[in-house]
Amino acid sequence: MLGLGDLNLTYLVSITFVSLYVSTLAVLFSAAIGLPTALAVGFRDFRGKSIVTSVISTGMGFPSVVVGLVVLLLLSRSGPFGEFELLFTPEAMILSQTVLALPVLVSVSLSAIQSVPQDLRDAAFATGATPADVGLLVIREARYGIVTALLAAYGRAISEVGSVLIVGGNIVFSDSTSFTRTLTTAITVEARKGNIETGIALGVILLALVLSVNALGARFRDRTPGGERQ
Amino acid sequence: MTDSNRVVGHESVGESASVETRLTARGLTHGFGDGAILEDISITVEPGEILAVVGPSGTGKTTLFRLLALFEQPDSGTVEVGGEDVWAMPDEQRLAVRRRIGMGFQTRSLFSTTVADNVAYGLRVRQSWRTRLRDAVEDAFGQTEPSPTVERALETVGMSDKIDRDARSLSAGEAQRVAIARALAPDPDVLLLDEPTSNLDPRNTAAIESAMREARDRGIAVALATHDMQQAQRVSDRTAVLLDSTCIESGPTDRVFETPSDDRVRRFIEGKLVY
Amino acid sequence: MAIQRRRFLQAAGVGAILGLSGCTGDSSPPQAGEGETTASGGTSGGATQELTLATTTSTYDTGLLDAINPVFEEKFDARVKTIPQGTGAAIETARNGDADVILVHARGAEDEFLEEGYGVNRRDVMFNDFVVVGPADDPAGINGMSSATDAFAAISDAESTFVSRGDDSGTNKKELLIWDAAGVSPAGKWYREIGKGMGDTLVQADQSGAYTLSDRGTYLATKDNVDLEIHVQGPLKDGPTILKNPYGVIPVNPAKYPDVNYPLAMAYAGFLTSPEGQEIISDYTANGSQLFFPNALSESPQFDQYVPEDYDGGNTSASVSDPQFEQWVSENVPEDF
Ligand SMILES: Nc1ncnc2c1ncn2[C@@H]1O[C@H](COP(=O)(O)OP(=O)(O)OP(=O)(O)O)[C@@H](O)[C@H]1O
Ligand SMILES: [Mg+2]
Repeated sequence: MLGLGDLNLTYLVSITFVSLYVSTLAVLFSAAIGLPTALAVGFRDFRGKSIVTSVISTGMGFPSVVVGLVVLLLLSRSGPFGEFELLFTPEAMILSQTVLALPVLVSVSLSAIQSVPQDLRDAAFATGATPADVGLLVIREARYGIVTALLAAYGRAISEVGSVLIVGGNIVFSDSTSFTRTLTTAITVEARKGNIETGIALGVILLALVLSVNALGARFRDRTPGGERQ
Repeated sequence: MTDSNRVVGHESVGESASVETRLTARGLTHGFGDGAILEDISITVEPGEILAVVGPSGTGKTTLFRLLALFEQPDSGTVEVGGEDVWAMPDEQRLAVRRRIGMGFQTRSLFSTTVADNVAYGLRVRQSWRTRLRDAVEDAFGQTEPSPTVERALETVGMSDKIDRDARSLSAGEAQRVAIARALAPDPDVLLLDEPTSNLDPRNTAAIESAMREARDRGIAVALATHDMQQAQRVSDRTAVLLDSTCIESGPTDRVFETPSDDRVRRFIEGKLVY
Repeated sequence: MAIQRRRFLQAAGVGAILGLSGCTGDSSPPQAGEGETTASGGTSGGATQELTLATTTSTYDTGLLDAINPVFEEKFDARVKTIPQGTGAAIETARNGDADVILVHARGAEDEFLEEGYGVNRRDVMFNDFVVVGPADDPAGINGMSSATDAFAAISDAESTFVSRGDDSGTNKKELLIWDAAGVSPAGKWYREIGKGMGDTLVQADQSGAYTLSDRGTYLATKDNVDLEIHVQGPLKDGPTILKNPYGVIPVNPAKYPDVNYPLAMAYAGFLTSPEGQEIISDYTANGSQLFFPNALSESPQFDQYVPEDYDGGNTSASVSDPQFEQWVSENVPEDF
């Protein structure tokens, strides 16, 4: 069935889990860093703002392999953070995925945030909001675009292969449970073995996963505020 | 006029009745880079009165109201609430003072959520983060009753029946009334309304004017920016006339309209002054 | 501060593993944690020790390690983290101290690795051979040649498409060595470096009607998926010795990287070269053929596995002075000894 060859269920479930775990945490971390950044860049005027925004959008196209290599250099035992022994762990993958997802998240949410009318921020301020309250309100007002940004970042993270291969090491334990192997890196293994059909079957699982995440996100995003309560 | 006849807001974190709530601007001068928009403006809004600020378009009414609502610090001059210079206060105290001022805007300014949520906004931001988090969780899992404060604020503007509507679906007049309810819900001591009825039909205008009177009767200091002379005459107790960047005349509305001391004011009132 | 951070990250890692096992329902023991350490020492803090093995894709993709590692893990209460890379990348990983042991096949690069002091105690483990494969219609007419260099020269003369791994793997290193020996520096549109693993390369060669050099094991494992044929056999089937493909195991030098799990790495090398490990290797088949031939066990000494290939053995006889030893003595032996 599905042309999955000799791949067993434990293996499939665990590489899927690692894919989800790594991408989800990476997107959460990049949201924690990226949304405040987008708010700050969106509403503050400072010298070099246009440079900052173009650096951010350039980051969207940054080759993941390069990110992987830089993270490898940093986390290697012979690198500056070698003592933490993070190379070839899911944490290392989360780190490189966060770096990759961040620019996507910031630039997409930045345009959503910038399209929230000044009038609404003024109204919040005049109703007694602190700057933090105004920021939250803006995120709420821009939620459609921000969910889109989260989904775009998630898509970038979960479909990425170059950097996770390098910093994760593509490790599976001998009981078929994955440590750092994801759906994408499993596909590279199958491709390398010439098992094209199995690789494609894994690709279909990945696609189904991305689709369901998108469907979930879209459901959340499209809930109307009126229908949300009562 | 005392605070004793106030009805709205036992829930709100408003100030105690004993605090003096007069809003005073002294010698305000402000501009945006090239030249001053406002020059040396001094006005006072007393508790329990409606002050109309009239003047042709572009004279700086909105700019003045933004200064009074503490959006930004004036280039020079002071804004005082209860006799204290607001910009000389530490940030925290200024926030507390700012929370005693409510404002209605010239443009549509409702958040993309329900009418009830919009009106509750001011109450929510005044609560502790813990309470807000708890409320958000409760909101997400089941029905929450709108607070009586929200209901009463909507009643004041005659919008009780629209409490569950999506604010984006309201007409301009309805939206303006909800925005005023939002400003009233936290029980402010000062209410600033910047042209709340321009472009509205007589019915909505009447509703808003009656809300203004009700607020005044509760002891709130109300300031109304308008270029509608009839409206100023109808609702205000005192009138200040803004012309050419400055306040050229102010006094009891009847006196200003009957015997203006400045000729430009007379021509403006008679609609002969064209800008 | 640093310690706390590490604890946190460790905890996060444990969370990942626990979540994982909960999800898959397997009963494998949690691996990192604050548990007791086994007698054999090492750096990882759990009851089950971890060994990071950087290895070539050929040992991994053929499934050989799936046969060996579970037995080793059982015996030594260890968990092997296998990182399949090209030989060049595997050696680089070990050079950075990010692996405990390597299992690779590029003798020249291994010698260099040892000479730089990154590895110690190299042992021969097994070998198989390379084969030159290509399309059935054999446009360069190399079928049945007994010399790999002649075959390569013929491919170059005919400018028949040749796909090269181009990834600094053991196979790639061997291929370049053969071009060198054939006196050809391959260049031109017919020679394509693709930077992929062996299986990918075979698939691509198949699709583009090209020749390529493959290890026999991966070729046999992939044979069903491609239409390539062997045109030049390796030494296992009377082919030229130059196509021999020896694998070596090398623990990373703990003097360079104190954090490596040297005892476990030595245990791994010991297991691979033990009668039991060697038997697993010789019993391992794919598509009905034996893929690797163990050669660690021998009654006669095989000194060549401990020294560089081109080592002349000349200058350290007992009668000649040994500056390295003398320096060591002067630095490490107390004056009043
Ligand atoms: N942020 C700003 N930057 C530059 N100029 C501004 C800014 N805000 C207002 N102005 C200018 O200040 C002047 C006064 O504007 P303001 O909005 O206060 O007028 P107004 O009296 O409220 O007019 P209206 O009756 O049309 O609302 C106008 O000329 C306007 O262009
Ligand atoms: Mg205005």
